[in-house]
Amino acid sequence: MSAVWQVSRAAVKRRKVQTFVIGLVVLTSTVALVVALGLLDAASTPFDRTFDQQYGAHLVVTFDPAKATGAQLAEAAHRPGVTAVSGPFAQVVLTAPPTRTNPPPGVDYPAPGPITVVGRADPGGPVDRVDLWDGRWVSGPGEVVLMRPPGQEFGVNERVGSRILLPDAPPLTIVGFASSLSQSAGAWVTPGQMAALHPTATQLLLRFAHADTDGQVAAGLAAVTAGLPPGASLGSLSYLAVKQDMTGTARAYVPFLLGFGVLGLVVAVLIVANVVSGAVVSGFRHIGVLKALGFTPNQVVSVYLVMVLAPGVAGAVLGTGLGHLAAQPLLRMVFQGFHAGYFSATLSPWVEVLTLLGMPATVLLAALVPALRAHRLSAARAISAGSAPRAGRGLRVQRRLSGTRLPRAVSLGLGLPFARPGRTALTLASLALGVTTVTLATGLASSVNALMLTSKEDVQTVVYVGDASVAGQVQPKLTDQQIDSTLRALPGAARVAAAAPVQLHVVGADQGAWVWFLRGDSATVGGALLKGRWLNGPGEVVAPTPFLRKYGLSVGSRLTLELNGRQQAVTVVGENLDGNADSMDAGWGALTALTSEQAAHRYVNQYWVGLAPGADVGAYDNAVKAAEPGLEPAARGGTNSITVSIVGSTSVLTLLLSTVAALGVFNTVVLNARERRRDLGMLKSIGMTPRQVRVMMVTSMAALGLAGGVLGVPVGIAVHHVIIPAMTDAAGFGLPPGVMAVWHLPLLALLVLAGIAIAVLGALVPAHSAARLTIAEVLRNE
Amino acid sequence: MVVRLDGVRKEYGDTAALDGVSLEIRAGEAVAVMGPSGCGKSTLLNMVAGLDRPTAGSVTVDGEDLGRLNETGLALFRRRRIGMVFQFFNLIDDLSALDNVALAAQLTGSSAAQARKRALELLDELGVADRRNAYPSVLSGGERQRVSVARALMNRPALLLADEPTGALDSRSGEQVMDLLIDLNQIGQTLLIVTHDQHLATRCASRLVQVADGRIAGESVIAEPAAARPSGVGRSGVGRTT
Repeated sequence: MSAVWQVSRAAVKRRKVQTFVIGLVVLTSTVALVVALGLLDAASTPFDRTFDQQYGAHLVVTFDPAKATGAQLAEAAHRPGVTAVSGPFAQVVLTAPPTRTNPPPGVDYPAPGPITVVGRADPGGPVDRVDLWDGRWVSGPGEVVLMRPPGQEFGVNERVGSRILLPDAPPLTIVGFASSLSQSAGAWVTPGQMAALHPTATQLLLRFAHADTDGQVAAGLAAVTAGLPPGASLGSLSYLAVKQDMTGTARAYVPFLLGFGVLGLVVAVLIVANVVSGAVVSGFRHIGVLKALGFTPNQVVSVYLVMVLAPGVAGAVLGTGLGHLAAQPLLRMVFQGFHAGYFSATLSPWVEVLTLLGMPATVLLAALVPALRAHRLSAARAISAGSAPRAGRGLRVQRRLSGTRLPRAVSLGLGLPFARPGRTALTLASLALGVTTVTLATGLASSVNALMLTSKEDVQTVVYVGDASVAGQVQPKLTDQQIDSTLRALPGAARVAAAAPVQLHVVGADQGAWVWFLRGDSATVGGALLKGRWLNGPGEVVAPTPFLRKYGLSVGSRLTLELNGRQQAVTVVGENLDGNADSMDAGWGALTALTSEQAAHRYVNQYWVGLAPGADVGAYDNAVKAAEPGLEPAARGGTNSITVSIVGSTSVLTLLLSTVAALGVFNTVVLNARERRRDLGMLKSIGMTPRQVRVMMVTSMAALGLAGGVLGVPVGIAVHHVIIPAMTDAAGFGLPPGVMAVWHLPLLALLVLAGIAIAVLGALVPAHSAARLTIAEVLRNE
Repeated sequence: MVVRLDGVRKEYGDTAALDGVSLEIRAGEAVAVMGPSGCGKSTLLNMVAGLDRPTAGSVTVDGEDLGRLNETGLALFRRRRIGMVFQFFNLIDDLSALDNVALAAQLTGSSAAQARKRALELLDELGVADRRNAYPSVLSGGERQRVSVARALMNRPALLLADEPTGALDSRSGEQVMDLLIDLNQIGQTLLIVTHDQHLATRCASRLVQVADGRIAGESVIAEPAAARPSGVGRSGVGRTT
């Protein structure tokens, strides 16, 4: 064992508290960074990698074959900026009806709603090289390949060899499953089979030279459609919208996790710098002895670096491991659902390598500056001084404070921070960052709650219509209109809106969209409006930001809805707050226009009820059940899994970072008390009571806590103002104004007090130890 | 010649702590530097130990011109040629007595096992082997100083420097340390002791150097060098293996 290692190891053992503090703070920030970087990587890399492998289409454009001829499309596909093209492929949208029975063996019913079928001879080509992950490609009539994310089969009998019953089509045998990240189709058949299905559109799959931004993709679309007859383009789908749709939830977590990771990193740097500079200052004699014994200056520096590197490495290793474990469920949660097959809930190795190497390197750099002081220190001076000389400023402040009317223990305590300005500054900074963390966490939790409340509409209970095909449920005897009247008549009801969710085809989009057709008091249940206005007539829809982004729409845009061959042109009149990229709201009139008044009633499967102020939700739900056993009322819960996970992880990280800030204070008080043993002994010898010693030491840190609170709260608010918009932007929806307005005076005062609380908590134990120090013990050690 | 100081001057700001000091110490000599507080005797010791650099003049120890060494060179010089004993012991609180002593040998590249073996022998010779696992904070002053001396002897230094070695000890412990130094000198160890304790100086040293206001104010020979006296195991026990 080398001498440097021997002395470093002894120093680590001796400074258990500091070692623990460094280990904990490095662990905390490593966990946050591993999870944040893991999510960041998982949200981009798998999509980009698969997209590149498949030569994914930057844009899927559908054309009306009646308006754009094959020759025109061929010419359009070679406009400047287009680097590759596949197609044109014939396309048709088939709408599967809802079914309430299980399919017979060997037969599969498609999920209700529209399915885009494309005629394609092979899965390859210059663009959208479809990943055929099971079975084979279609080779003749009567065959179909279904689009499914890798490894996912949805239907009861959905497997290679089964037959699928698509509407308006002969039974087709499933010969394979394939995935297309371009989402160019829901199913593929041979071009010959497609002719028999009577195609209604033509599809072009395009790649552009520049397609990094929405603007570049839109410019590509404009170049392709320029010169075509009006209305020739039925719609388009940008890969950026698909990417946003698939990764938006994951990206929403990244800003706040990165924020906490960076805060943790800064706190780690401060704590390490504080610990090492404290060790150097209080260990002047120790440094002198080492040099007198023959340690070279570099060896002395090495002692201090190894001293912090040991817990730093331990924290980084443990933090990476814990981060790895913490990231798995989070990744699974944010990538659950239809797109899960494209992503894997595993971290990329670079994330772990980065934290395993980067965190110890950061610790080393943080320790290097104060450790270099030991390098420069003259051995003779160090060995004679015993500890670093104190600045005169502290003494002057002490003299001024002694003239005040404050109790002497308090005035002495207030003067202590001025004796070591460097240490005080580092402690103050970590306290301020502790308060910043608490402030940020409070703001995040409040904003996320506000966001959820805003988006959740003013609905206290949702009454679902029973479905006899589901075990335990009863079909209502009352009709839709009778249920509506009954719910309105029950005591406590203030607003009732009937909702008919229908999956239908948006002309120009390959995937179906859920449209919630609303009737009654729908204005108060549609969620917060970000732009535009609420529904006013049958030809209108209100859509959430992700939906509009996905299809390149905005308020004022027109689109065509199609259900069972009937079309209805609608205008987007409002943009509302919802993270769903596949749903929008429409008025009752739009549904009756697409079906019939009678058929429309059959689609209603739930009623959203707003209660009068003071009305009891439980009592209302009981009354509903009593009035019609076929109804299933469900009171609206206050939280969802995203809220819980954001608030939960925020709370854990805040608790850890606040604890670390308190431990930073602990470290400072330990150093101060150790350095001032002689002063403490002297003060006690002239009559200072243990309680006064405690008051003095705690006061010194409480003052710093107050200053830290005053500094940390505005920083926390500023970080909150950066992170929340970044989160909502990453999630793909706009920012309602009320979400940021979570700060009020009493809360701010409490947050400032949090600084004092952290400081006092950190100071209590070492202050107690200082108070218990016996004079004889001090003198013996002197 | 083990030590040669030639016209050494050391200034701290406007104050000259040493002013033209020249001094020679032969191998096997035991020299005591005496003088009142602040006269410059500790500065002189720091110069010889390579802990500080003179403003002017030269310091040569065991043939090494310290002015030509950089900080690393000085550190290597100290670990191989110098042993130091301090008034307040300056043991490393984090290490046991045994590890404090072994540390000096480990610096020169000895393995931990070798270093501990020799450290244990020295502690045994100095009568504190039974305290080898104790930490400095629980040792008595005399025990701490014995451990400190053992550490200083670990690398068989050409020169043992002692700065007020009995200054923090009670009279009985002080006498024990004096016996130790005498015994070491008797077996050939060159000593430079800085003290203002007349009794220590006359008991342990063969030559007295008086320092006043940073200058050599006088020298006197007390006895012939210890190396010339009959050798053997002294009252402290030193000499059995050292």
